[in-house]
Amino acid sequence: MATNSSSEDLTLPGGWRGKAPMLLAVGLICVLLSAGMCYFVGGEENRSVGFSAFLHSYLANFIFCLSICLGGLFFVMIQHVARAAWSATIRRVAELLAYMIPWWLLLFLPILAMVWWTDSPALYPWNAGSGNVSAIVEKKLDYLNPFWFTIRVFVYFAVWVLCARYFFGMSRKQDETGDASITLKCQKWAGPGIIFTALATNFGAFDIMMSTDPEWFSTIYGVYLFAASMLSFFAMMIVSCYALQRAGRLQRQVNTEHFHDLAKFQFGFIVFWAYIAFSQFLLYWYGNIPEETQWYQDRMNHGWQYVGLVLIAGHFAIPFLGTMARKVRRSRPLMAFWGVFILVMHWVDMMFVLLPTDEIHFSGLLLIGHLVGWIGMVSVFLGLLIYRTGDTPLVAQRDPWIPDALAYQVGP
Amino acid sequence: MSEHQPKQKKIRPPRSFGWMAEYEDENQLLDAARKVRDAGYSRIDAFTPFPVHGIDEALNIRRTRLPWFSLVAGMTGTTVALLLQWWTNAFDYPYIISGKPYASWPAFIPVTFELTVLFAAFMTVFAMLGLNGLPKFNNPVFTDPKFDRATDDRFFLWVDSRDQYFNAEKVRELLEATGAKAVEEVWEDDSPTEVPKSIYAGIAVLILITLIPGAIVLNMRNSRSPYPRWHIFFDMDFQPSRKAQQPTTIFADGRVQRPPVPGTVARGELGPNDPFLLGYDPEGVAMGKGAAVNVQMVSYQQENSASQEPIEEPPAPPPPQPDTSAADDPQASATADASSEQAGEAPSKPAGDQAPTTAEDEGDAGAGPAAEGEPNYAWLERFPLPVDAELIEVGRREFEQNCAACHGLAGYGDGLVSRRATELAQGYWLQPTSLHEQRIIDQPVGRIYYTITHGKGKMAPYADALTPRERWAVVAYVRVLQRSQNARPEDVPADADLASARGDDTTNR
Ligand code: HEC
Repeated sequence: MATNSSSEDLTLPGGWRGKAPMLLAVGLICVLLSAGMCYFVGGEENRSVGFSAFLHSYLANFIFCLSICLGGLFFVMIQHVARAAWSATIRRVAELLAYMIPWWLLLFLPILAMVWWTDSPALYPWNAGSGNVSAIVEKKLDYLNPFWFTIRVFVYFAVWVLCARYFFGMSRKQDETGDASITLKCQKWAGPGIIFTALATNFGAFDIMMSTDPEWFSTIYGVYLFAASMLSFFAMMIVSCYALQRAGRLQRQVNTEHFHDLAKFQFGFIVFWAYIAFSQFLLYWYGNIPEETQWYQDRMNHGWQYVGLVLIAGHFAIPFLGTMARKVRRSRPLMAFWGVFILVMHWVDMMFVLLPTDEIHFSGLLLIGHLVGWIGMVSVFLGLLIYRTGDTPLVAQRDPWIPDALAYQVGP
Repeated sequence: MSEHQPKQKKIRPPRSFGWMAEYEDENQLLDAARKVRDAGYSRIDAFTPFPVHGIDEALNIRRTRLPWFSLVAGMTGTTVALLLQWWTNAFDYPYIISGKPYASWPAFIPVTFELTVLFAAFMTVFAMLGLNGLPKFNNPVFTDPKFDRATDDRFFLWVDSRDQYFNAEKVRELLEATGAKAVEEVWEDDSPTEVPKSIYAGIAVLILITLIPGAIVLNMRNSRSPYPRWHIFFDMDFQPSRKAQQPTTIFADGRVQRPPVPGTVARGELGPNDPFLLGYDPEGVAMGKGAAVNVQMVSYQQENSASQEPIEEPPAPPPPQPDTSAADDPQASATADASSEQAGEAPSKPAGDQAPTTAEDEGDAGAGPAAEGEPNYAWLERFPLPVDAELIEVGRREFEQNCAACHGLAGYGDGLVSRRATELAQGYWLQPTSLHEQRIIDQPVGRIYYTITHGKGKMAPYADALTPRERWAVVAYVRVLQRSQNARPEDVPADADLASARGDDTTNR
């Protein structure tokens, strides 16, 4: 299977690697800057809103990055379970993304610490504890309390990390041994892996994201996050492959067919996201029950309604029409553009989902603060990704599917 | 079809239809297709048991126009769905559903989505069939039994004899050079093209068979039969239930119609002359003008009309004093002139279905305690039932449920409905009478009972909503309210029973 000629350089470009420390430093500074800006969001008289706004903003940016990695994890396992040949050459990038999840646990620790050692309701109102929460939340405190919350978060991360490490580790092992039975093992474990990761993601979405508004609930919330994760992952994948090719990597391994397929997936998940987002909205809007509509009430007032309109156009209508044509999907620069577009929209989406509360209203300052925080978080993300990758080859070396993937052809 | 045809074909070789090569796997097929394509042939095709990646390119098939059909159909579906829903819900028959706006776009989306998909899917399928020239009954390639394996485990490449560069020998050589398992010429199928007679016959027979049931029915409709009717649902045609006036074996007296059980009163059959139900004594002598004769005529008429018509407005019941707010009501004053002429005979006039005839004419104002047109009965002055705290409590409940919305909790005519109507400046709204007007305070209890039973002006009758006892209870409560708002200090100890019943609640208006 000596399909990868040894002359080919399949590791990260050296120039990229040098940038990692800088990225991390920029990231840290930006996050601090964002904290400072958000602090003023509440105005003179209400500093606690500023604190709350920063925490929400941090969480939104955190989920933005984490969801991409989760999408990568799902992708890897789905490729195994489907015994897909075409994706063998691009799977490593997804594996690397998923392999970053342990870092995200690290970045979640500040929030956990806040939940654990304080009773601040700034991010999770239930954290105020019995007697300080509304009657509805009072009944939920058996589930939503610092102790169980922490345990559950660790369980979710354990599932994600285990799966990510397993599939990345096996793939690396195969690089060395070329043992085809490793592929079979991966295929065997991908099924259970998907089930557990899906459960962890679903309940993780409930706990980490949905409980920022503990009175409200939506059973489709986890699916919403899944749709957004897969969509942003495919966008990230297209952008990374494009960037790597620009830097002279993966020239032979990723051809137009791969781009076309990633673009098709991205297109599909644009529709899926819209379907889920709209279903959730329609049922609550039509039912018109105060308990359920409150969440949308927060998001349809105080300036957030414009963000919602931006989502309808930018997260659905525009990219839906924009990436419909086959010509566009097969054009790498165009798809790279749409990938970046989708990633920005994913950021807007996470902002729309996580930022608004009855206190946090939309404002220019909040937007800029959140944007700076995003730049920071993405810098950290890229920095860590580069560290994580190190000199790991960007393509699996001796995967038995590689020849098929290299010869992948669909049409003219 | 017929066996002699193939033999004939061998004797007289028909026109060649093209060449067919058979391969064992798809990669051979792909290679071969590329070679044939590169040799310049364009009328070529491949037959495979499953979709083969890259075959389009290998055969040099031009991009299909199918997506455009789907796109246009999809957009048509979107438009049609939106227009259809907008037109039906917001334009042609505006109807509020679930308190949503007529054109509630979020609710339109699911149907829009479905119609978009439906239109696009149908168009895609039918356009695909159309572009492929399907359905087609036959194709010469089917004459070769080997070809059956195209749906199983063999791959075929086909070069059409109508190709511009077609040359039978060259094509054969080319195909053989691609490593085909077999290369064969396909002959034009010259079996007769006309549809066999038997098919026509079959269709004719089918049509005839479908006519049979109709023919039987027609025949039965137009002929007589000595046999009894044929009952499909026997127990529906012959039911054990009996019709009126028929005998029955179920009851001892053999009658289907049952006499009322002794000691019971059928609905609506309660004695029409009971003052408890009427609020006045039909036998008694009315005050002021009008005579007992009139009263009895009225009750007679009411009895008659009650059996055919829903509860009617009381015959001409104008308030005796012209200074009520009713004078502000344009409608009331408009009808005033017309009705005042007949005011004297109003009680005997059947009430029309227009607004109650109110005789508000100033000219009649001096007509004594019972003004012209005011029902003129011997009103009960005393409650026809014992008044106790329990009754007043019932009255309070019913008043707050039924009356307070208009008259206000304390009876000042300032209920929520009234306030809202005033706020909206609704021209037709008539301020509910304050129950603390001297005129109402002076009214006998029977008169108020009558108002509740029959309604007045904008106020609906409550005969259906409240039982007579509840109506009396409400009257008692109205009295309590009036007393509570106009109490003199000496009232309190003197009538502690009534005053203490709900005294607390009634004062906070
Ligand atoms: C829809 C609002 C409404 C409700 C409910 C209502 N009323 Fe009235 N009521 C009126 C209006 C309007 C008038 C004035 C009618 C007129 O003079 O044409 C009125 C008049 C009266 C009068 C004075 C009649 C007269 O002789 O002038 C009495 C007494 C009265 N209501 C009692 C009641 C009682 C008791 C109830 C509850 C069983 C009740 N109303 C419920 C609107 C209402």
